Amino acid sequence: MQHLYKLIHANPRFHELERKRSRLSWTLAVIVLANAFWYIGATAFYPEAGFARFWGEPVGEGQALTWGIVIGLIQTVLFIGMVVYYISRANGDLDALKDAVIADALRAAGEQK
Amino acid sequence: MPAVRPRLLVGLAALATGPAFAADGVSRSPTAILFFLGFVCSTLLITWWAARRTRTTRDFYAAGGNISGLQNGLAIAGDFMSAASFLGVSGLIFGFGFDGLIYAVGGLAGWPLVLFLLSERLKNLGKYTFADAVSLRLAATPIRSLAACGSLVAVVLYLIGQMVGAGKLIEVLFGLDYTIAVVTVGALMIVYVCFGGMIATTWVQIIKAVLLLSGATLVTFLVLRQFNFSFDQLFRAAIEHHPHGIRVMQPGEMVHDPLSIISLGVALAFGTSGLPHILMRFFTVPDAREARRSVFFAAGFIGYFYTLTFVIGFGAIALVAGREGFLDGAGKLLGGDNMAAIHLARAAGGELLLGFMSAVCFATILAVVSGLTLSGASAISHDLYANVWRKEASEREVVTLSRYATIGLGVLAVSLALLFETQNVAYMVLLAFTVGASVNFPLLFLAMYWRNLTTTGAVTGGIMGLVTAIGCIVLGPTVWVEVLGNAAPVVPYKYPAVFAMLASFSGSIVVSLLDRSPRAAQERADFRHQYIRSQTGVGAEGASGH
Repeated sequence: MQHLYKLIHANPRFHELERKRSRLSWTLAVIVLANAFWYIGATAFYPEAGFARFWGEPVGEGQALTWGIVIGLIQTVLFIGMVVYYISRANGDLDALKDAVIADALRAAGEQK
Repeated sequence: MPAVRPRLLVGLAALATGPAFAADGVSRSPTAILFFLGFVCSTLLITWWAARRTRTTRDFYAAGGNISGLQNGLAIAGDFMSAASFLGVSGLIFGFGFDGLIYAVGGLAGWPLVLFLLSERLKNLGKYTFADAVSLRLAATPIRSLAACGSLVAVVLYLIGQMVGAGKLIEVLFGLDYTIAVVTVGALMIVYVCFGGMIATTWVQIIKAVLLLSGATLVTFLVLRQFNFSFDQLFRAAIEHHPHGIRVMQPGEMVHDPLSIISLGVALAFGTSGLPHILMRFFTVPDAREARRSVFFAAGFIGYFYTLTFVIGFGAIALVAGREGFLDGAGKLLGGDNMAAIHLARAAGGELLLGFMSAVCFATILAVVSGLTLSGASAISHDLYANVWRKEASEREVVTLSRYATIGLGVLAVSLALLFETQNVAYMVLLAFTVGASVNFPLLFLAMYWRNLTTTGAVTGGIMGLVTAIGCIVLGPTVWVEVLGNAAPVVPYKYPAVFAMLASFSGSIVVSLLDRSPRAAQERADFRHQYIRSQTGVGAEGASGH
């Protein structure tokens, strides 16, 4: 196993994999955290804070629905959408790259024997 | 002046609050008892079926690694959709309108984070518990002891909260005596876990998740039908009937202390990533791909569930608030705000739906405590016994010990629930989330992402997080003032997650950086191999084909 790890580490495609995956994970994680804390912050600082004030406004003249509730629902859909996007990437190009890295390592290990 | 209204706690711990239910309660409908007996019989049958398939430790802890992504997603959603979150969040929306949603958004946000940052690496590194993943390159004995400690503290606190709540809820819904109710829950949970292990626990959770989702869907449908499927009409009726009027549609009704609510958000968003009974479920699927699919289904079901809960909360305001037949002598909701969803079931669907939803809530508690007990038993038998005390233990011995540990935890949970019957134990569930966010999550996160983490650093940080979490809770408003009866809290904040998490992360980081021992150097050097395994799954437990 140690030997395989060395071979994988020497493969530039492995570093491409880790770069791509970490960029994807962290970008999405930051978006989720920013959204969640926007929401939490709005609840905490309403109505003083500017980023929260419009949350209590109705979406239209004579409507009962407020922007805050609309944003809450959009966030729910957004979070699930991001989960779907991550999985499609992870199961698609990232897994293909991972399988290629493993195949490279196994082939190299075979040649050395 | 209390900065946070006491009812805020209720969301995490609806059932643990032990509200003063009216003696005549809500209902004692025979339909509830029939539905519940049906659930118990079918789950016992499943346990009998599962028992015949549970032989090895891998069967017992990880259902043989044979659970599919959809099944696991449902089970994870089931773990998360406790009666506390269903009744508590709908009760908070009933009480405060908009602000109750913070639990939904904070709780849901935890899931994408688990997927993007943890689930895949966890599955590639671990075997049965998250301690496996953490102790790969760090010294097994101290790290496993710490992880088992963090798991057990979280599990026992959570169990007490759920059990006390279960007793109270069953007292009201079924008219059963508190002691009998608690003992029944304890006995059933021991049977499921002892004989059926993870296979039975997963299926009990799946059945309950399907029942809860269908019940909540039906209630939502019936409520919306009364308003001609118009949200505008529903909201207007809610504004008209709620004492806060238009403000139920706006933020800021519930909390007036920003730091507390941010700390609450931290506990919600990161607590999920540190709850051992949820992390354990990632080992029941065959590979990282199925682990990802699990999160997709789990997040989908949880998002859907919270959307239903939102409509149910507003529906309860519109149809139940201030109405004749749902109020006690003082004009408060019978059984407290936490009963809002149950009352709404009756208002929308009559006695039959009331009976069904009551039985579903009971089933929910039963399923959640089973999952908790199993993860506690695995911390004792797999992490402590098989990997610290007696490394030569045979598989048979470990499974046997798991069963004893299950019985022990069950008896402990029942005794503590009887002991704490009259106490307000809401803070225990809060503390469980706080321990998850400030001990287990930092340990897991740093071990997987940070090369420089050393054993000494991890142990120091973990202990600092645990001590800060427990210290702040004990010296804070909830325990120091409300339980112990002191005049003023030593620590003025109700939600210590933010401080405990900071203590844990900074302790781990500073001590690791200062650690110049040869063992630390070796641990840093070993990171590379662990990292490659976490990225590729090469060398992962139970993996095949590579």
